[in-house]
Amino acid sequence: MGDFVVTIKDLTFKYTDRYRRSSFELVVENFAASGCTAVMGENGSGKTTLGKLVAGILRPTFGQIFYNDMDIAGLTLAQIGGQVGYLFQEPSRQIFAPKPLEEIAMPLELRGVCPEEARAKALEILEKFELSHIVDSVTFTLSRGEKQRLAIAAAMVMQPKYFVLDEPTTGLDKARRQILADTLKKLQAEGMGILLISHDMDFVELMGADVRQMKGGILC
Amino acid sequence: MLKTKPDPRVIFLLVMTFSTFGLLIREDVVAMAGLFVIVLVFAGLLGVQLRRIFGRIKRLMQILLLVTLLRSFFTPSGIVLFAIADVPILTTGGIAMGVLVALRLIIFIIGAAMLTVYPARALIQAMVQMKMPYEMAYMVSIGLRFVPQFAQEMQDSLIALQLRGVEIKKLKLRKRLSLYSYLLLPTLVSSLQQAKELAMSMEMRGFRALPSRTSYFSLSIKAKDYAMMVWVLALATAISFTIFNNNFYEIIMTTIYTA
Ligand SMILES: Nc1ncnc2c1ncn2[C@@H]1O[C@H](COP(=O)(O)OP(=O)(O)O)[C@@H](O)[C@H]1O
Ligand SMILES: [Mg+2]
Repeated sequence: MGDFVVTIKDLTFKYTDRYRRSSFELVVENFAASGCTAVMGENGSGKTTLGKLVAGILRPTFGQIFYNDMDIAGLTLAQIGGQVGYLFQEPSRQIFAPKPLEEIAMPLELRGVCPEEARAKALEILEKFELSHIVDSVTFTLSRGEKQRLAIAAAMVMQPKYFVLDEPTTGLDKARRQILADTLKKLQAEGMGILLISHDMDFVELMGADVRQMKGGILC
Repeated sequence: MLKTKPDPRVIFLLVMTFSTFGLLIREDVVAMAGLFVIVLVFAGLLGVQLRRIFGRIKRLMQILLLVTLLRSFFTPSGIVLFAIADVPILTTGGIAMGVLVALRLIIFIIGAAMLTVYPARALIQAMVQMKMPYEMAYMVSIGLRFVPQFAQEMQDSLIALQLRGVEIKKLKLRKRLSLYSYLLLPTLVSSLQQAKELAMSMEMRGFRALPSRTSYFSLSIKAKDYAMMVWVLALATAISFTIFNNNFYEIIMTTIYTA
């Protein structure tokens, strides 16, 4: 299988948000990731910022990011979604619908897929991510782990080849962490690359990830 | 910039007075521009970061343009600058109106910004000491405190939705509207949850346990503040006489005659 490679070249990022007057600057000289990579570092060191840059949510001030050999500067978020998935630190932000089935079918319908087909596809995905038992639950009352799995499942509809997860183990107990690791390993076996943002050493070891350290906005 | 900020109540008075003028001035661009300059001076003295505000309200230019064109087309006045087959598209009257509406909006925005230079606690206290029930004063300030957070959350949801392959710009209007209802949902849910928690913690600290509430922190109006209030009112009177000169005379005379 051809590995999906994310490459970053001479990247600088500054928050241009006038309101918070942040003086934060992120610098990545050289970064090439395929397989499972973990980025570790203290709070506020810029891990989330790096993850958002890789997923195209933030755009670099200077420098370039490539998916395989393609510069992502010209891609829209919707196009990026077909290549890279993103799990927010707070999964409730990416859950829109009151029902899990609708959650997955809705974007498909917005993209013009007919309702029956979208529904069938959604059921298939929920099955694959072992979420069939919650098909009739209300999404907002799901546990954190289930919300996370639903968010990952929803992103997988786009069949991305790479996934960015921002601190996915926060608030999960040991058993839920194991379930998450199993889910991710299954995806990895299917050829998915993973950028794992975490300071959970156990989990990083469990995933067998290459570790990079983030210190004060600089990726070592 | 002033060394010590005046009592927030003075600013409440000032903002209310000038906003009222902003509403009352309907046709006179010169008067609106004058008011705008006065508001700018006060905002500058208070230390409002005007550059930030102006950076943000660039979008108002669209409104300005729209008003200008509508006014020129429907109620042409002044000199016609541009016309297509006798139908006026751009008139000086239209431009004046566009500028006036834009200035009015900016005056309101700066007025709101003048209050934000005070800490929330001082504003609550000012409202309470102006005899507003304290429950309401707290409601207002809590509401304001959550605005930026909700904006951030909606922004995140919008990004998440796009990452699912939805090209928002390419959607038809009807679909786009249904999409906005989806975007509201996560924010609504999280705000309800937060409201519940906030209510509980306020209750635990005895909020509304008694009908009135004393406070260790209190504002006191000083001689300087009174002076400023009188000054604002005098300025307001002067402005009303110059702007509403003719009308004012009429209003007063008719009142006297009918009496
Ligand atoms: N939207 C923003 N505007 C300005 N500064 C920000 C914004 N988001 C984060 N920052 C700042 O950038 C730095 C890195 O944040 P972040 O990437 O979230 O760190 P981490 O995820 O490693 O905890 C922090 O100092 C934070 O205050
Ligand atoms: Mg973070």
